[in-house]
Amino acid sequence: MIIDSIKDEFRQIVGDEWFLDTPEDLVVYSYDGFLPEFKPSGVIVPGDRDEISKIMGVANREKINIIPRGAGTNICGSSVAREGGIIIAFHRLNKILEIDRESMCAVVQPGVVNADLQKAVAGYGLMYPPDPASMFVSTIGGNVALNAGGPRGVKYGVTRDYLLGLEVVLPSGEVINTGGKALKNASGYDLTRLMCGSEGTLGILTEIIIRLVPLAPARATLQAIYSDLDDAATTVSAIIGSGIVPATLELIDRTVLDVISDYGGARFSKEAEALLLIEVDGEESLVEAQGKRIEEFCKERGAVQVERASTPEEAEKLWQARRTAFGAVASLRPNCIVEDATVPVKMLPAMIRKIVEITKKYDLKIGVLAHAGDGNLHPLIMTDLRDREEMARIDKAMEELYETAIGMGGTLSGEHGIGIAKDRFMGMEFNEASIELMRGIKRVFDPNNILNPGSFL
Amino acid sequence: MRNYEIRVGNLFLREPYGGKKMIPKNIADEFDQCIKCGLCLATCPVGKELFLEKFTPRGKIQLAKHYAAGDLEISQHYRDIFAKCLLCGACSVTCPSGVELKEVLVGMREEIVKKRGIHPNLESAIKSLFVNHNISDEENNERGDWRDDINELPDHMYERELAEVVYFVGCVSSFFPMVQSIPQNMARILEAADVDFTILSGEEWCCGFPLIGAGAPEKMGELIEHNIEQVKGLGASKMVFSCPSCYRTWKEYYKTDLELFHSTQFIQRLIKDGDVPMGELHQTVTYHDPCDLGRNGGIFDAPREVLRSIPGLTLVELENNRAQSICCGGGGNLEIADPDLSASVARNKIEEIQRTGAKTLVTSCQQCVRTIKGKVRIEKVDLDVLDITDVVVRAMSDA
Repeated sequence: MIIDSIKDEFRQIVGDEWFLDTPEDLVVYSYDGFLPEFKPSGVIVPGDRDEISKIMGVANREKINIIPRGAGTNICGSSVAREGGIIIAFHRLNKILEIDRESMCAVVQPGVVNADLQKAVAGYGLMYPPDPASMFVSTIGGNVALNAGGPRGVKYGVTRDYLLGLEVVLPSGEVINTGGKALKNASGYDLTRLMCGSEGTLGILTEIIIRLVPLAPARATLQAIYSDLDDAATTVSAIIGSGIVPATLELIDRTVLDVISDYGGARFSKEAEALLLIEVDGEESLVEAQGKRIEEFCKERGAVQVERASTPEEAEKLWQARRTAFGAVASLRPNCIVEDATVPVKMLPAMIRKIVEITKKYDLKIGVLAHAGDGNLHPLIMTDLRDREEMARIDKAMEELYETAIGMGGTLSGEHGIGIAKDRFMGMEFNEASIELMRGIKRVFDPNNILNPGSFL
Repeated sequence: MRNYEIRVGNLFLREPYGGKKMIPKNIADEFDQCIKCGLCLATCPVGKELFLEKFTPRGKIQLAKHYAAGDLEISQHYRDIFAKCLLCGACSVTCPSGVELKEVLVGMREEIVKKRGIHPNLESAIKSLFVNHNISDEENNERGDWRDDINELPDHMYERELAEVVYFVGCVSSFFPMVQSIPQNMARILEAADVDFTILSGEEWCCGFPLIGAGAPEKMGELIEHNIEQVKGLGASKMVFSCPSCYRTWKEYYKTDLELFHSTQFIQRLIKDGDVPMGELHQTVTYHDPCDLGRNGGIFDAPREVLRSIPGLTLVELENNRAQSICCGGGGNLEIADPDLSASVARNKIEEIQRTGAKTLVTSCQQCVRTIKGKVRIEKVDLDVLDITDVVVRAMSDA
């Protein structure tokens, strides 16, 4: 609980309209895209950096928890008030401040929606590559805090790779600037990248400088269907091993293909055990040549059907299955847990086999979507949260899944973050010294532990 | 995706939920499917304008859920929140888990009316609906006044005792001068094609559609009965509607054996059969899919076919077209509950239209014409806003 006089102080900072504490407002800021919900004591919607600085000053003095929240689309519970406190929402900080074509960068406020930025820079012949599935809703601030990825990650990398500089309000209310528009920067500790993926535990982002790249003039889209999952997996290794770097290399397994068909989406032949969706982009002549080679790779490695789109409409049709996949799976049971374990690319077939084994062992329904080109798996666990017995089995299955992934040299999370979804598994990936170091960093930034406490540390 | 049979009196099958409270069963089925992914935020015109989570479809679904679970009561705040919605259905088609959000949003409006009465801004309109049997303040016998401007009006004034087709004009284009050209056009097209048709004139009552959005569908009975009764005995086999919402209301709430057509479908047939000769019209237009005709009525192709049948006419699509069409701002009684918000949505729509480069917008709904044209006039935007019947009549003149 926060006493009224403190709430009044917050109201004075942002104006009555932008401090919310009605029961209705508290309920709708108690969730994000993950499962558990925690009701905050208030929601504050600042209009600029100075307001944020003042808010942090009060919060730090009174030791009130502050939880930053973008669009609330993350699926690891990193923007909920797990230990109570106030949600700080960035709805009003939604401006693209500058698109600098010559320096190939843009300066944005944290509340800018990813897709809006992509659209704006495309007008300059530029591209902002990170394309999380939530891109039409999720904000750049949230993307930075979670180090969001997306299908294009295999060629273009993730949010971290496009981060040049930040303006950050610290828990003390002080403002720091990290990095800048320069593409190279070897000065001091890399505070910019430290903030990336910090899940709102170190500071509040108020301005973000992002790097842009030229928009690829051409692309080729292919879909290959396999009657054997291993053939699909070896095709992935063959493509990556050949020196071609596809923009996208997605895999869908049998379980998900069946669900898509049942949902009324695309239909696949009975023998289909796996589907690969492959896209290359770049100069037209290169794309043409690479498209052909990939088509050959697929056929040589046992694809029973290979389709290559020759128009953007046909390409969109090939994307249909991938785009429908999540919704189809999500509609099957009341809840769907999207996993994110990631392994080195060559371990992908072994990891998929392990998932199939775990599915049987714990008697679960798990489908696999994967950004196969970068080893980022998204096992989709279809369940009903109210079924406690099944949830207990899922917990065990996940533990085994992570142990396997980490044993292969992988990680708990490729692009979704840790939050409250996987905090208990941090010990698998980090030894005590590493975790203590992280806690130490947290203490330096936030000695009173008011920023998103109870998240992954 | 599941489809619920929606009929008056069927929406509220009550069953226990969570052992705490009785709530509408099919509503609970819907929000239990919500995975809180937030993708609906991308397409909600209201959420994009007002930012705060409570105004987004996801927020509203969660509020419905908490009400159903007995955590929260229906407050004044609830009413304000749920009134800020166009019932455009964009969220329903965006939802990856197939939640029928629109059903929840309409259902919650009904719950709000039960707990706190009709929205104050809607009270007088609803009252007049039962006094005048239309949504205006005027008497219903003025419903046929749009005929006053027609030259060479036939003696029967389109009121016949027997006819093959009944043209149901609808309240908005009967009473609002800005869109009275629509029934005038319709009469001209139907006459040109020698269609044996009649109107109900003063005996046409409001179809009841505004009551659905107002959360009081149970009050529709009297209107439905009257209209059904009026149509009986005319010997008609078909009905045609220029208003998408009347068309949908008849389809979903009226029990009738008559074949129901939206004007675009009917005109498309007439053109195809060669009954309406089309002259050339050298113009570039863009087309706005009205929510109730397109996304909620499933009619996307008929209006486009009509436009394509006009030689010389070029159609450029909006960025968001067909099922992805963005509401004009005129849906869900928002215009009455929150005129400023409705106007902001209309402004966004106009910006999208302008990005096509076309100087003419065509749509096929009198409410969309009113909303967009109204805003265009206020802001002095260089844009011609036409109903599709306007375009057809122009093309006919040149034939």
